Amino acid sequence: MSEEFLSHEIRDKIAISYKYTMGGQSKFFIELMNNKKLLGTKCTKCGKIWMPPRINCSDCYTPANWVELKQTGTIEVSTIVWYTTSAFIKAIPYGIGFIKLDGAETALLQGIFSENLVPSKIKKGKKVRAVFNKDRVGKMTDFFFVPEDEYENWISKSEYEGGES
Amino acid sequence: MQKVAIIGIGITPFKARYLDKTYFELAYDATKLALEDANKNGADISHKNIQSTVYGIYNELFERQFMPDIFTNSYLGMNNKPGTRIATGGATGGYTVRMAYAEVASGLSDLCLCIGLEKCNDCYDEQTGVTTPEVLNAIAYSADMTYEYPMGMMAASSYVSMVNAHYEEFGNPTEEQMAYVSVKNHGNAMNNPKAQSPMKITVEDVMNSRIICYPFKMLDCCLYSEASAALILASEEKVRELKIEKPVWITGVAAANTDCFIGNREDMGRLYSNIYAAKAAYKMAGLDYNRIKSLIDLAELHDAFSGQEVISYEELGFVPFGEGGSWIEKTFEKSGEGPWIEGELPCCPSGGLIGCGHAVGATGIMSTGEAALQLRGEAGKHQVTIEKGRAISHSIGGPGAAYAAVIVMANEEGLKQT
Ligand SMILES: [Zn+2]
Repeated sequence: MSEEFLSHEIRDKIAISYKYTMGGQSKFFIELMNNKKLLGTKCTKCGKIWMPPRINCSDCYTPANWVELKQTGTIEVSTIVWYTTSAFIKAIPYGIGFIKLDGAETALLQGIFSENLVPSKIKKGKKVRAVFNKDRVGKMTDFFFVPEDEYENWISKSEYEGGES
Repeated sequence: MQKVAIIGIGITPFKARYLDKTYFELAYDATKLALEDANKNGADISHKNIQSTVYGIYNELFERQFMPDIFTNSYLGMNNKPGTRIATGGATGGYTVRMAYAEVASGLSDLCLCIGLEKCNDCYDEQTGVTTPEVLNAIAYSADMTYEYPMGMMAASSYVSMVNAHYEEFGNPTEEQMAYVSVKNHGNAMNNPKAQSPMKITVEDVMNSRIICYPFKMLDCCLYSEASAALILASEEKVRELKIEKPVWITGVAAANTDCFIGNREDMGRLYSNIYAAKAAYKMAGLDYNRIKSLIDLAELHDAFSGQEVISYEELGFVPFGEGGSWIEKTFEKSGEGPWIEGELPCCPSGGLIGCGHAVGATGIMSTGEAALQLRGEAGKHQVTIEKGRAISHSIGGPGAAYAAVIVMANEEGLKQT
């Protein structure tokens, strides 16, 4: 009965491909891709501005209308990631944070890029502005935020550009 | 509603990796341990007496199997009986206890198996040749896949957002205060033979460990584990019929889901799910939220990250908002060398997630089982003094730690005093 235990391991991978619809939120991604606009929604009853957008207000159960939001905002909270998932490990260190766009009530999770990525540079209260990829595909990774004072520098790079406002 | 008691507890060791067991084989081990424990506790039952099962299994990608519960059901010999799976992220264990409680309290089942399991480290990252980045990736799929995952959001960055927001509001927890939790929980695990990360470390060790996600460092974070934990829940009638010697009564169960989008929350530095779940669970148990610290003997908390434990002290009502940091500091000044199983309210005497490891679906069931063993006076070397006869376990998890569950338990003495 003292037979040595030998384990057997099998290499495998689960992969599923998608072409998924963004449904009622589609307009946000289309406007981001085509016009570098950041659209939120405003509840027709309570007036709350939703960002990320939802076409129905979850508080009032009434429709919400599309509204264009400012491309400037304030960092509410942030972090710098130094160890991460297999999908992002090549990108470390990277900054992410929750940004309240001027005029919005909810904060959006986004990448915060900086030429000097240290906690003090991307801390709460810092003003940031959206920078867009020139090559956009209608995904959240089409844009990111940079500290206001680095904005001109970022949009002068060949792969990026500024938004409208 | 019928009264419900924990009559059997079975916890496998929490390990980085079991090469000799699959997830359903781990579940079998925990179930067998729980049945043996129930029989030591006066019962004379086998798996054939179990009337229903509630499974806590978080992540299909870990198990490499959708609907892993039905395969576990087969291996446990539970065919032709009801079995239901719960999956609520890191709070899966607590939520599973809640639903198993409901099975028995409602009268649907007199004898219910409440079992959690997880086997994460079968995930493997071919590019780095280790498991962790792929485990983290499998977890990151719990973030919103359109708005959050593409930003590189993951478990640590999600929790750290709340901790950083709390720090901005109250000036704590500081990095040192977080390190105290790490020293305490790694240290407490030294007395728990089932723990994955028992370590005698110093505050400096924590401060000098590698940065993961500012300001969390390696030793502020729990490790992912493989394990299974099982409880056998019985109705009061069954407890009497089986002549159970030390029933541990579940006197309060509650859960709440706060907004999974952290940016939608009014207060990013607070987990309202914890507050709602704690208040409701204590109320059900007839305990006052504002006095809870003096009404229980211990708390097994969900310390996935050290800073989160500090914030939980406040949300669960142990100390007022903003005073979590100074509370752990006081505890530490008093018993800096440990073990931290005495004092005002011992938190995570088992070592918690930081000390034991985090086998997601099994974790909250392990914490509940640990608290129940404490109330039976059978926790072993990390036994705390039981005076009030009451304890709580706490589970949180999911995107932005949106899910929270709190379980209140009492032994026969604790029940009389209520
Ligand atoms: Zn509204």
